[in-house]
Amino acid sequence: MAEDLVLDGAIRDWVLIPLSVVMVLIGVLRYFVSKLMRSSQLPDAKILKEGQVIIRARNLRAAANFIPAKSFRARRAYYSNEENGLLHVPKGQTQNAQAQMFSDPNMAMDMMKKNLSMIIPQTLTFAWVNFFFSGFVAAKIPFPLTQRFRSMLQNGIDLSTVDVSYVSSRSWYFLNLFGLRGLFSLILGEENATDDTARMMQMGGFGFDPTKSLSAEKDSLDIVQHEWALPKFEQRAEAVLKKFVS
Amino acid sequence: MAVNGELGADENKSSDASNDLPIFNAENLQTNMKVIYYSRTFLSIIGGVVAGILGLTGLMGFIFYFLIMAITSIGLAAKAKFSVHSYFDCWNRIILDGFLSGLMSFVLFWTFAYDIIHIF
Repeated sequence: MAEDLVLDGAIRDWVLIPLSVVMVLIGVLRYFVSKLMRSSQLPDAKILKEGQVIIRARNLRAAANFIPAKSFRARRAYYSNEENGLLHVPKGQTQNAQAQMFSDPNMAMDMMKKNLSMIIPQTLTFAWVNFFFSGFVAAKIPFPLTQRFRSMLQNGIDLSTVDVSYVSSRSWYFLNLFGLRGLFSLILGEENATDDTARMMQMGGFGFDPTKSLSAEKDSLDIVQHEWALPKFEQRAEAVLKKFVS
Repeated sequence: MAVNGELGADENKSSDASNDLPIFNAENLQTNMKVIYYSRTFLSIIGGVVAGILGLTGLMGFIFYFLIMAITSIGLAAKAKFSVHSYFDCWNRIILDGFLSGLMSFVLFWTFAYDIIHIF
C-alpha cells in the first residue's frame, strides 16, 4: 500500500457532492422530460382488439386445468379452429400488417425521441464533467482492487503509481451512472427512464408484430395438455351439501 | 436497522384445501416481488450510508452488506409470518432475489459516505 494521498476538502465540496447531486437531478429531469414528450397517440382499434384476444387466450391457458375437459375443448376450438377462430390469422394479412407497422412514421419518431432524451443528457453531463473536473483524483473507494481496474477507475489520470482504489472524477461519474439506478427506481416509481429505454431497445430489435404473437399464442394453446385438476370436486361438493341438509 | 416499514405484502391465497395444487395469482406474486426489490434497494442504500459513516473498509464492508441482506431476508420472512408459500412460490424469492442488484447501490453510497467523512 502506498502512502495515503491527501485530498483537498474543496474537492469534496465542489466536485464530489455537486457531481452526485447533479446526476440525481438530471435523472429526475430526464424522467419528466421523457414523460412529457411521450406522444399519446390513439391506439389502433384492431391492434387493441388483438391484444385483448391474446390476453383472454392466455388466461384460458393458465386456468386450463380448472375447467372440465369438455369445456376446455369447446373454448380451445373457439380460439384456434382453422376457419373462424379468434386466434387464426388469414394467410394474406400477415405481410401486409408487418409492412404497415414498419412504414408507420409515428412509431419511429417516438423511438427516436426516447433515445434522444436518453442520449443528450448523458453526453452533456459527460462533457460537463470532462471540461470542469478532468484530471484529478476525486474519491477513494473503501476496498482494495487489482490493477486491472485501473483503466476503469482512473480514467483520465495517467499515473501508474497511484493506488488503484483512488477514483478520478470522470470514473466517479460512471460509478454514479450505474449505481444510481436503484435510487431512481425508489424515487421515481417503477417505470423510470432507464428501464423504459431498455424495453424500447428490446422492442425495436425485431419490430413489434401483433399477428405473430397471435399465431404464437395459437400454437401454445394447441399443445396444452388438459388435465382436470379437481376430479373429486363433485363428491366433495355433494358431501358438503349433504352436511347442510342433514 | 431493519427498516421493513414499506413491506405491505398482499396475500396470495393458495389454500384450496384437499389438493396441493400450486395456485397463484400472478399479479399478486409480481407485487410481492416488487416489494422485495424495493425493500432490498432501500436497505442497501441505507446500509451503504451506514457502512460509510462507520468507516468500514475492505472485506468488512462486504460482510456488512451480507449481514444486512440476511437481516432483510429474515425481516421479509417474518413479515410473511414465516409461511412463505402463501406469498411466494419458493424460498429463493425471499433469500436470493435482488441480491446483486443492490450491491451496486451499496458500493456507491458506501463510497460516497466514506469519502465525505473519512478521506478529506
